[in-house]
Amino acid sequence: MSGRETGAPTDLTGGMPATDAAPGDTDAWAEVDPLTTVDADARRIFAAIAERLIPAAHGMPSAAEVVGEDRLRFVLRARHDLLEPFVAALRPDLGEDPEARLAILERDEPASLAALQLVLVGGYYTDKRVREGIGYPGQLAIEVRSWEVPSYLEEGLIDAVLARGQVWRDPNTGQRAIVEGRPQTYAERYWPAERRPEGGHDGRDGT
Amino acid sequence: MAAVEPADALIIGAGASGGVVARRLAEAGFRVVCLEQGDWHDKGEFRGIHLDWELTARKQWATSPNIRGLPEDYPIVEDSPVSPLMFSGVGGSMLIFAGAWPRMLPSDFRVRSLDGVADDWPLTYDELLPYFRQTDRDFGVSGLAGDPAYPPDAEDPPLPPLPIGSAGLKVARAHTRLGWHWWPEFNSILSAPYDGRRPCVQRSTCQSGCNEGAKASTDLTHWPKAIAKGARLVTGARVRQIETNDRGLATGATWVDREENEHFEPAKVVVLAANAIGTARLLLLSADGRHPDGLANSSGLVGRRLMMHPFANVAGLFEEPLMSWQGQFGDLIESLEFYETDERRGFVRGARWGLAPTGGPINTALPSRAGTQVWGPDHHLHVRSHLGHGANWGLFAEDLPDEANHVTLSGSVTDSSGIPAPEVHYAMGDNARKMLDFHIERATESLLEAGAHSIEVDRLMRYSGWHLLGTARMGDDPETSVLDRWNRTHDVPNLYVVDGSCFVTSSGVNPTSTIVALALRAAEHMVETRFEQQVPA
Repeated sequence: MSGRETGAPTDLTGGMPATDAAPGDTDAWAEVDPLTTVDADARRIFAAIAERLIPAAHGMPSAAEVVGEDRLRFVLRARHDLLEPFVAALRPDLGEDPEARLAILERDEPASLAALQLVLVGGYYTDKRVREGIGYPGQLAIEVRSWEVPSYLEEGLIDAVLARGQVWRDPNTGQRAIVEGRPQTYAERYWPAERRPEGGHDGRDGT
Repeated sequence: MAAVEPADALIIGAGASGGVVARRLAEAGFRVVCLEQGDWHDKGEFRGIHLDWELTARKQWATSPNIRGLPEDYPIVEDSPVSPLMFSGVGGSMLIFAGAWPRMLPSDFRVRSLDGVADDWPLTYDELLPYFRQTDRDFGVSGLAGDPAYPPDAEDPPLPPLPIGSAGLKVARAHTRLGWHWWPEFNSILSAPYDGRRPCVQRSTCQSGCNEGAKASTDLTHWPKAIAKGARLVTGARVRQIETNDRGLATGATWVDREENEHFEPAKVVVLAANAIGTARLLLLSADGRHPDGLANSSGLVGRRLMMHPFANVAGLFEEPLMSWQGQFGDLIESLEFYETDERRGFVRGARWGLAPTGGPINTALPSRAGTQVWGPDHHLHVRSHLGHGANWGLFAEDLPDEANHVTLSGSVTDSSGIPAPEVHYAMGDNARKMLDFHIERATESLLEAGAHSIEVDRLMRYSGWHLLGTARMGDDPETSVLDRWNRTHDVPNLYVVDGSCFVTSSGVNPTSTIVALALRAAEHMVETRFEQQVPA
């Protein structure tokens, strides 16, 4: 089987590592700490909700443990539009019970709930330990080895498609098209008989 | 102050079709000016290589202008279950499109003759074939020649195919067992270095901008060449109205800059390339005493027959890891097994299937397209079982034209320049609903045959209006069409529309390949007929 489909990825990220630099870092938002708007009560309520939605289980840490000030700051700097609905979702008048709060938000303020969930999940899944725990290395740069023969060709999967014939509908007849002399295999498609090297070599070794 | 010399061609919009026309006309010696309301975007701006990629993809780089809300966007008033998607900038919506590059099929141009519905196009697949080939070379298309879903082509794609990934291989094997068509997808994404651009690295962040520049967009493939030939591209230029004279000819466009200063750009020929919503909006905005219903609208069809390809997503989950967060987003493989009409199914026409990667952990953890959400201790099991374990069939249903689906101008909502926003009124037709239901069943069979242990379905995805088509259709009869067979308006002989507005029917395939082939064909015609072209004095 070709390494093209299943081989170990080559990380080409090189000089472009995934970084914490948020898009707002080049503008005025870089100077503003979004957490100044999230008071102690709101953080306490957030921690309770985080514990409810993503608790420690199955070898993974809880979101309450992971999504501290650094992760919150990271998410809200990247998405400062979330700050207002996030704070709204944590306001004290919705009570202390996380379950009841989530139910109210789902019923009456779905946009605030969505912001709360996105901040929580965004903070949790951009944490290095969490990514390691779920086996996610980030979006890697993987070399495309276009000079290699794809495994589906070697397996004969394309030949099977070709052998079934044309799929398109001929607009002149309204019927499935018939093409005289159509290639039955991919080797035939690329190496018509008059050009095929002696011995039937199909030329797919990249030479 | 000396009068400004009129451009030979004034193009509105620097996206896919605008870039193609600008390059061809500039190469032919035309004096080209383009007005683009957005800006240039360097690939270093895209967030795919950053930790916040999935966060910013939902806002700053969202595909919906209503979500982004950038100053250069215009809001869209939506009376529709499908949200229109687009991007304002040099390269246009190509900056955020997936890159899938199928051509329309021969039968797509003969829908009335073959199936008794909608209309035939005033041209054929064979007439468009040379332009498909040229635009494939210009954009840099990767693919495997010989797909039996299309007529044999004497010319192969310029680049070998991109990988199909573990998910694509599983499904390809399943289709081999089922006896169903599949083929590696054609993508306008480079599988090898080409024309000074770097190849794809499979990062799968295509829809929020390609950091490699491997995915084609006209800011990379066309505008540098057009500008080198003298084209002038003005960014931050929002067109308010196409102006006409008493001879019924277009004389140029009135536009506003970022500081809201008003300008007039005179031109001998005006070319609209602003997508099927933006172009319809501009034609309607250009109503005046001579054109009370909008410019080029004697047929009453400007803004009507909007088509957006109703889209369903069928996700299969597999026990084994497929690393399916990686791979080109512009599809791994396609299937056209059920594309052509079979009336026994209870509907006419068909849908194309594209198998795509499935996204990162934030996308996985949040409520899914199908409405699934798992919190509490099982959240971790949900993420582990979904992330990298999925394969998604995206199903694009052919959308038959319906005059009730239309774009008009809002009476209350405006863009940041105070120009009325477009209102989109759209409902999915009964034929398309039946079609999607049928295809969802077949795509489910496909994924189960491939070994999926469970299936999740989004029967009509809201944020799927990538393909904006049909609001200024082509045709030979001025009473039933807006444009002639060369994309020129019947009413205004020096006004062209070269974007997806011109589509007569939608087909069931991603349209960009066909849009740019039609745009190049129109540009070639402008070059060939330049000495017969009527222009204002």
